[in-house]
Amino acid sequence: MSALVGLDVSIRERLRGIVGAEHYSDAAEDLYCASYDATLEQARPEAVVYPASADEISRILRLANEAGFAVTPRGSGTGLSGASIPVAGGVVLILTRLNRLLEINADDLYAIAEPGVITQTLADAVAKQGLLYPPDPGSMKSSTLGGNVAMNAGGLRGLKYGVTADYVMGLEVVLPTGEIIRTGAYPVKSVSGYDMTRLMVGSEGTLGVFTKMVMKLVPRPEHCESMLAVFADMAAAAETVSAIIRAGVIPATLEFLDNVTINCVEDFKHVGLPRSAEAILLIETDGVREAAQREAEKIVAICHGHRAAEVRRAADAAERDRIWEARRAALSALSRVRPTTILEDATVPRSRIPEMVAGVRKIAATYNLQIGIFGHAGDGNLHPTIQTDQRDTEEMARVEKAVDEIFALALSLQGTITGEHGVGLVKAKYLKDEFGEEGVRAMRAIKRALDPNNVLNPGKMFR
Amino acid sequence: MAPKTLTAADLGPKETDQAYLCAKCGMCLQVCPTYQLTGREAMCPRGRVQLLRGLLESRLELTDNLRDMIYTCCGCNACYVNCPSGVDVEKLINEARAAMRAKGVELPAGQEAMRSRLADVSNPFGLDRAERAAWLPPELRKPRTAETCLFMGCSISFANNKTGKTILRILEKAGVDFMLLGEEEECCGDPLVRIGETQLAEAMIERNQARFRRYGVRRIVTPCAGCVKSFRRHYGGFESRHLVEWIADLIDEGQIKPRKPVGRKVIYFDGCDMGRQLGIYEPPRRILRAIPGIELIEYDKSREFGQCCGGPLISYDPEMASAVSAQRVAEAAEKGAETIAAACPTCFLNLRSGGQASGQRIDVQDVMALLYRSLKGD
Ligand SMILES: Cc1cc2nc3c(=O)[nH]c(=O)nc-3n(C[C@H](O)[C@H](O)[C@H](O)COP(=O)(O)OP(=O)(O)OC[C@H]3O[C@@H](n4cnc5c(N)ncnc54)[C@H](O)[C@@H]3O)c2cc1C
Repeated sequence: MSALVGLDVSIRERLRGIVGAEHYSDAAEDLYCASYDATLEQARPEAVVYPASADEISRILRLANEAGFAVTPRGSGTGLSGASIPVAGGVVLILTRLNRLLEINADDLYAIAEPGVITQTLADAVAKQGLLYPPDPGSMKSSTLGGNVAMNAGGLRGLKYGVTADYVMGLEVVLPTGEIIRTGAYPVKSVSGYDMTRLMVGSEGTLGVFTKMVMKLVPRPEHCESMLAVFADMAAAAETVSAIIRAGVIPATLEFLDNVTINCVEDFKHVGLPRSAEAILLIETDGVREAAQREAEKIVAICHGHRAAEVRRAADAAERDRIWEARRAALSALSRVRPTTILEDATVPRSRIPEMVAGVRKIAATYNLQIGIFGHAGDGNLHPTIQTDQRDTEEMARVEKAVDEIFALALSLQGTITGEHGVGLVKAKYLKDEFGEEGVRAMRAIKRALDPNNVLNPGKMFR
Repeated sequence: MAPKTLTAADLGPKETDQAYLCAKCGMCLQVCPTYQLTGREAMCPRGRVQLLRGLLESRLELTDNLRDMIYTCCGCNACYVNCPSGVDVEKLINEARAAMRAKGVELPAGQEAMRSRLADVSNPFGLDRAERAAWLPPELRKPRTAETCLFMGCSISFANNKTGKTILRILEKAGVDFMLLGEEEECCGDPLVRIGETQLAEAMIERNQARFRRYGVRRIVTPCAGCVKSFRRHYGGFESRHLVEWIADLIDEGQIKPRKPVGRKVIYFDGCDMGRQLGIYEPPRRILRAIPGIELIEYDKSREFGQCCGGPLISYDPEMASAVSAQRVAEAAEKGAETIAAACPTCFLNLRSGGQASGQRIDVQDVMALLYRSLKGD
C-alpha cells in the first residue's frame, strides 16, 4: 500500500470545486472540531467537506485515489471507538447535509433515508404512522443513521428486536474507489449474490460510504409493561435473567445496574433505590396487550422465585417513567463523579454475567479504580464505566492496564471485546486476540480488495 | 495585536474543570439553535467547549474566527438540560468571554457596536436617553419613594412601549401601588454580562442599586426576563419578580378579572431566561388559562426543553437571529397555533421579525396584551 500524502493547493482547489466553496473548510477551528469523537482520541484532518450527493462523494474518492490522500466519513461524531477520527489526516467527509427522509412505506414496511438523518428523527416519523424502528442506541437523539449502520449500533431493545444490522435491507454505497453500487433489495427475501449489505454494516467507514439506506420497520407494539426487581446478590439476579429466557419469555428490554451505579444514581437523582442492593433489573415486555401482561406476570413470579428482595410493576405511564428514571440517569450519574468517564462495552454470553461482574470488580480493586457497571443484561452487553481524570497520567496508566484486563476477561468468558461501540481506533490492538492473526488477515484481504490504495478511513480496525 | 491564547489561569480553575467535564458525547448537538441552523460542529456546545479546551492546551490560537464561535452561543442552555455530565455551558461561555475581554480581545463588530451604545446611552438600541421615559404619563417619568418598583427594561421602553402602556393600564385596573425609575432607569447589565463586559456591567448594576436604595425600593417587578435574571444574579438586598408572577397572583386574588372572551388558539413560548434560567413556567400559563376563550396549546419541546428564539444573536447577526426565530414560528404554525404568546420582550421582538422573515401568518403577542383584551371595557 502506498503512503498517503498531504493536500496541496491544487487538491484543495479541486475539493472546493466539487462541493462548493461554502461547503469546504480548512479553518483551524473546523479542523479541530473534526478531530474528536466521544473517546479521548484526537487527530486533525487537513480539510473538512460537507458533500450533498453520492456523486460528489464519488468524485472526492476518485480524487483521493488519484492524489493519494485519506478520506474519513463522519456522522455526528458520537462514536465510542475513535472510528471517525482522521488519524491519517486528509479529508473528513461530514455527511450531515445528506439528511432527507425519502420515503416511509407502510405496506412494504421500510423507510428510505439518507445517512445524515438523525436516528430519533426516523423513529419519530415512523411512530406517527403506527410503526416502529426498533434500534434505539442511547445516543439516538444525536447519532446519524449512517453512523448507526457503519457501527452496527445496538440499543435497549436488542434482546428481542436485534440490532441495526437486522434492519438494513439495502444500501447505496460509494465504494472507496468511487464507484456507486446498490446492495440488498426491497423484498423481505433476497438471496442474489454475496450478502454485500451485511458486509457493509459494521464496516466502520472502511469499505464504503453509505448514501442511501433502506431500513426495515415493524408494526408498533400496542402495549408494554415495565418492571423493576431488586436483588441482594448478583448471582440471584443473573439466575433470574436465565430463568426468564428459559421460561420462553423474551422481554423487549432487560437492563441491569450494579451497586456502584445504584449509589451514583441515588447521589444524583434520589429516585429511591435501595443503596445496599447488589443489582437491579429493569424489565419490559411488549406486544399484544394480553400477551405482554401475561409475560409480565410470569416475570414477576420468576423474580420472586429467585430471591428478589422487591419487585415493582408499573401501573401506569407515570410509574413506568419513574421506573426508567434510574436507567436513564445511569450514565449521567456515573459521569458526574469524576471529570473523565470511559464507557466500555465488553460483552459475554448472558449466563456468564456474574463471572464478568465479579472479574471487573476484582480488576477495579487491583488497580484502585472506581468502575460502575450497568448495561443490557438480556444480551450480556455490559458497560463497565471507569470514572477517572484524563489529566492524571499516573491514574490513566492504571486505567489502560485495567481496560486490557477487562477485554482479556471478556474473551476468556467466550465473549467479545465490543458488543456495540465497535473496534475503530481504541480496540484495534485487541482484534487479533479475538480472531487470531488468520482471522484478521482474512478481514484485511477484504479491505485491500475494495480499497487497494487504502484511502478510506485508514488506520481503523486493524493495527 | 490581539492576544493569541487563553490559559487556565485566565479562565480560572472552576470553569477549566467545566471544560474538562464535557465527555464529547454529542447529546447537545441537536438541541443547539446555532447547530440546527448551520450544521457546523464549531457552532454547537460540544464544539465550543472543545475549542476552549484547545485554547487552554495551546493547541489552537485565539483567532477572530474562534472568538466568533464563542460569541455566537445564545446562552440558551438547552444543552445543559440535555448534558449527561452537567456542563453549565452558558456560564462557561460567559466566563470565557469575560476572560477574553480581560485580556483585551476585541468584541465581534456587532457586539462591539452594542457595547458602545450601552456605554453611551445605557440602552442596547442606541436611542437617546430621553426616549426611555418620553412615552410615560408625566407623573411616572420621575421616581418617587415606594416599596415596589416597576422596572420597565430597555426593550419595552425603547422598542415596544405599546406593551408598556398596556402594562400600566392593567396595573391601574388592579389598583396596586408602584413607582418607576423612569428617566433614571438604566440597562440592568445583563447584555453586558453576556458579552463578557464585566466592568461596565458592574458600574451600571451599582448605579441602579443606588437608585433602588435611594427610593426605598424593597421589591422589583419587571416585564423583562433578562432583567429578572440580572437582579437575581447580580443585585443584592431586593426581592425581584417577573411581572407575570405578580399578575397571576393578582388574578388569583380577584384583583384582576379577565371576562371578555379572546377566541384564539394560543401557544405559549417559554423563553430561555424565563424558563431554564428562572423556572417561571406556570405563572404565564395561569394567566392565559384565566382568559376566557383561549385554547392553550404547547410546543413539542416546552418548559425546560423549550427552544431558544435566537434573540441573543440579534447583536451578532440579526439575520441569523431571525432565521432561528423563523423556525420557532414554523413549529408553532405546525401545531395549529394562531397566536404565539411570549412573556419575554426579547423573544417577542425576535419572534415577530422571524415571523415576518418566514412569511408565516401567525400573530405574536405579549401575554399582557392578550390579558388586556380580556379586560377592555370592564
Ligand atoms: C452517550 C452515548 C451513548 C451511546 N449509546 C450507544 C448504544 O446504546 N449503542 C451503540 O451501539 N452505540 C452507542 N453509542 C456510540 C455511537 O453513538 C454509535 O456508534 C453511533 O452509531 C455513531 O453514530 P454517529 O453518527 O455519531 O457516527 P460517527 O461517530 O460520526 O461515525 C462512526 C463511524 O461511522 C462511519 N460513518 C458515519 N457515517 C457513515 C456513512 N454514511 N457511510 C459510511 N461510514 C459512515 C465513520 O467513518 C465512523 O467510522 C453511544 C455514544 C454515546 C456518546
